[in-house]
Amino acid sequence: MEEMDLPEGMNPEVIKHIMYPQNYGKLEHPDGTGVAMDEKTNEFVIFTVKLAKDGIEDINYATNGCQDTVVIGSMFTEMVKGESVEYAKGAIAKIEAKLGLLSPQQKICADMVFNAFVASLINVANLAQGETEEMHVIKSEESCVIPEGKTNA
Amino acid sequence: MHNLYQVKHELWLDILFASFTIENSVIKDRLYDFSMIAFRHLKWIGGDILESGDDYNYDRSKMLLRRQSNFEILNYLLEEIKAAQAAYTPSTLTERIITDEAYLVQYITALLENSNNDAEVTAFDMHRTLPNKTLDVVQTDSLTIFLFEESYKEYELILVYAYMQARTDNLLHFNVFQDLIDESHFHLKSFGNMMAQMGILALPRELHELTYKITDIEKFIISGIKEEENAKEQCKALSDAVNDTELSQFFDFINYQENYHIALMEKLLPKK
Repeated sequence: MEEMDLPEGMNPEVIKHIMYPQNYGKLEHPDGTGVAMDEKTNEFVIFTVKLAKDGIEDINYATNGCQDTVVIGSMFTEMVKGESVEYAKGAIAKIEAKLGLLSPQQKICADMVFNAFVASLINVANLAQGETEEMHVIKSEESCVIPEGKTNA
Repeated sequence: MHNLYQVKHELWLDILFASFTIENSVIKDRLYDFSMIAFRHLKWIGGDILESGDDYNYDRSKMLLRRQSNFEILNYLLEEIKAAQAAYTPSTLTERIITDEAYLVQYITALLENSNNDAEVTAFDMHRTLPNKTLDVVQTDSLTIFLFEESYKEYELILVYAYMQARTDNLLHFNVFQDLIDESHFHLKSFGNMMAQMGILALPRELHELTYKITDIEKFIISGIKEEENAKEQCKALSDAVNDTELSQFFDFINYQENYHIALMEKLLPKK
């Protein structure tokens, strides 16, 4: 992403990911589609992936969730695009190393992102075995609720 | 027809965000009026698509490009209007749309003839300050996140309610959806202009169909009421946090409006 001068306060990289989320939207004719769904709040993260022999050829995500989810989804997809699936499985820890320790709230958002990615891989495997599911859904156990008076990121 | 809907959806956003971006209040207000006309075009196009037995979605393909000057924005709008018109097929509706857009083109062309209408654009430079306001880092961060969260939410609400309004035969529901859409337009306008003033103007994210294809309206409304309550808390927290009377009054004003949104949304719940 283009470099810019930013004032103190929020992590500049975080602001850029909010203003210009990377790999946002949906892929046409993906190999797999996965959703992490919080049925209590109706929040979701959805991933579409295209896989190549040596890893993740293309990846997109979308969400109706909070800005933390947007930022983590944007950073995650940027990190894993073109990489192996094994690398992707460790990418959330790398994001944590980059952003600093995630708050409990941000961990829930990160789990939503990662679970949606995992669901897309399960969908790829299920389709390869002849199943017909349109997308694989993983239900979230915890909800992202921003405490009163607090803003995330 | 899908393509026409998407083209018009993107043109509405182009005009709306041009209005937010340009500081000159006369041009800003005029473009905002045109954006609301474009939104009505979108609603009518959607109605025609549904009447024909087809359907539409809220897919988009364009990003909000950062522009350096008013004239860059206005020239871009002219190009986009021209490109949109290539998607129109002859009908009473497209005749109306074309005459509206011809008037907008005349207005923009006249603006471009006077160099006094040009100015540098600061809506995207991330300076994160407001004119004549002194906010500390924590207040600025809180306001920044609030504006990103709520501008997306208002855009989402406009489109979700419009989607449901286009598909209801219930007059009460139709009217409630219209009120909620009108209210969200006002909030989006308020937040969009504030984001531009702070140099953090960004296009709300595209909606995935999981967001607007509602299968359980009762669950959707109950969840929406919770979101409104959360937005009220966010407004109250911001109002308390910012050390500025004018800003506090504004966030209190928005907070009190959310109360009535909740009352409106409750009208959509089945009577028990």
